[in-house]
Amino acid sequence: MKALSPNKGLPVFLVFFLALAALPLLGVEGYRLRLLTLLFLWVSLAGCWNFMSGYTGYIDFGPVAYFGTGAYATAVLMIRFDLHFASALALSGLICAPLAALVGGATLRIRGAYFAIATFAAAEALKQVTLEGDRVAGFEFFGGSHGLTLPAAPDSEFFYYLLLGFMVLVIGITHFLEKTKFGYGLKAIRESEQAAELSGVPTFKLKMRAYVLSSSLIGCLGGIEAYWLTYIIPDDVFNVMRTIQMVIMTLLGGMGTVWGPVIGAGFLTLVGEFLGAKFVYDYLTILGVVIVVVILILPRGIMSLMKGRRGETV
Amino acid sequence: MVLFLQSLINGFLLGGIYAACAAGFSLAFGVMGIVNLSHGDFVMLGAFVTYWLFVLLGWDPFLTLPITLALLFILGLFLQKLALNRIAGAPPIMSYLLTFGFHLVISSLALRAWTADYRTLNPTYAGLNFNLCGLVLPYSRLATFSLALVLICGLYLFLYRTEMGRAIRATAQDGEMARLLGIRIFKIYAVTFAVSAAITGVAGSLVAQTFVVYPQMGLPFTVTAFCVVVLGGLGYVPGTLFGGLILGIFESLATTYLTAGLSLVLTFLLLLIMLILRPGGVFGKGALE
Repeated sequence: MKALSPNKGLPVFLVFFLALAALPLLGVEGYRLRLLTLLFLWVSLAGCWNFMSGYTGYIDFGPVAYFGTGAYATAVLMIRFDLHFASALALSGLICAPLAALVGGATLRIRGAYFAIATFAAAEALKQVTLEGDRVAGFEFFGGSHGLTLPAAPDSEFFYYLLLGFMVLVIGITHFLEKTKFGYGLKAIRESEQAAELSGVPTFKLKMRAYVLSSSLIGCLGGIEAYWLTYIIPDDVFNVMRTIQMVIMTLLGGMGTVWGPVIGAGFLTLVGEFLGAKFVYDYLTILGVVIVVVILILPRGIMSLMKGRRGETV
Repeated sequence: MVLFLQSLINGFLLGGIYAACAAGFSLAFGVMGIVNLSHGDFVMLGAFVTYWLFVLLGWDPFLTLPITLALLFILGLFLQKLALNRIAGAPPIMSYLLTFGFHLVISSLALRAWTADYRTLNPTYAGLNFNLCGLVLPYSRLATFSLALVLICGLYLFLYRTEMGRAIRATAQDGEMARLLGIRIFKIYAVTFAVSAAITGVAGSLVAQTFVVYPQMGLPFTVTAFCVVVLGGLGYVPGTLFGGLILGIFESLATTYLTAGLSLVLTFLLLLIMLILRPGGVFGKGALE
């Protein structure tokens, strides 16, 4: 993103961040605060997906695997082990890292549709584990399809600031990618993995690093949402719609860019909120039409409009 | 022993249906590289065509197959010409998202039109079966299994014994080259997707005879199609028959000896392991990137 180079972009970003941080103090509360919190959550999720899939070109179709795992880990640690939220959340992120290393270690060797299908299968398998684990093993742990209820959450400002911080962190990481060797390595994988490997880029190591980092952060976000909503079921936290939403938001804004996921997630969250309230029954139909139209008319994302030139390659 | 043989036979009969449901998916991927996430919805639409013709007009479910074939062919042609042809050559993620958009529109419109009720077909011969040394073989399952085989053989003959089939295979091998040799590849794409939708719809009509019919049944069938084509080799149409049979028997045995929920976990694990160890399918003839 040339228009927002670090020198020019940083003050703008800081002002924006401070303005957002001041909103609750200026009396924004209730529904609006909640909507903004939801927006931060989606910007963070799309951002995490973007700095793995958008930069490497490996289309991950199973990020919900870690969202759900994080949500369940936080819930189980808080309910069954009486841990405090902060330590439960940190542990959830840590649990997702070796899991991602295991799944990534196996799947990051295969490309294209194969990688997408494999990650999708991993997410569905984990969902079935939380759904059926109790019945098969005969213990009371995940709560099956009834889900789990978490302890009462603090006020909504707590989540507002927590997710605002997370969003800044994710944007920061992506911004960092634009400037470092790590980020260039990931982009090289997207352009041509073979050429990158031949030029001495340790492609597998970089892919793994991006995948594990992205997955752990998504796991933490799952934990935050679980505590925020205080009630989780497998069909919601492992819902394939969440994956699709992350993908669509990033694609809408522009893949492999710093601000793409922010714009895409912001747009889709607000539009979704509006449509969901106005057209309760036809919401999904309209969303489907929006997806089809966007892909046919704006295949390179909204970011390409703002630049007035062809967007980054997807 | 009887239990084992019975679940083996059940799996075999189920596998035929799975294969028929997945053949079109493999075809679309092999020729155009499309991972069709609305694939299962074609199964659902086929099932509903049969259901309504049976309920409203009293047609025998087997007589509805040509109607399904024609209707889904038109739908496939329409979707390909209107939308999918425009993203030909774009990165594959475009096809995932576009077809997911189709899935949302088709399944939620179906939900609005037909409600979420579970429906079943009950022709007069629904419960009839014959008993072979203690093994139960329902007639309708045998008939749908045979028709599923006919469908796959028909697709095979179409691809390997007709001019259009040759053109389709040429396009799958090398689109640019086929174009240079005078094949109108966009026409081929349209026909391919239409054929894919049509046979999937007919498979859906067969599904309606033994499965519950409801608007949200599509996505699970898309997932099943994934598994089948990965087992058989992505893009290798004859492989789907074996992929379907393997998956059907695997699921049936896992459901008999473990639980239904765990059988799904195992199915996904099988899929993962196949993708990692043998991405070309059991015969290694699938398209590799």
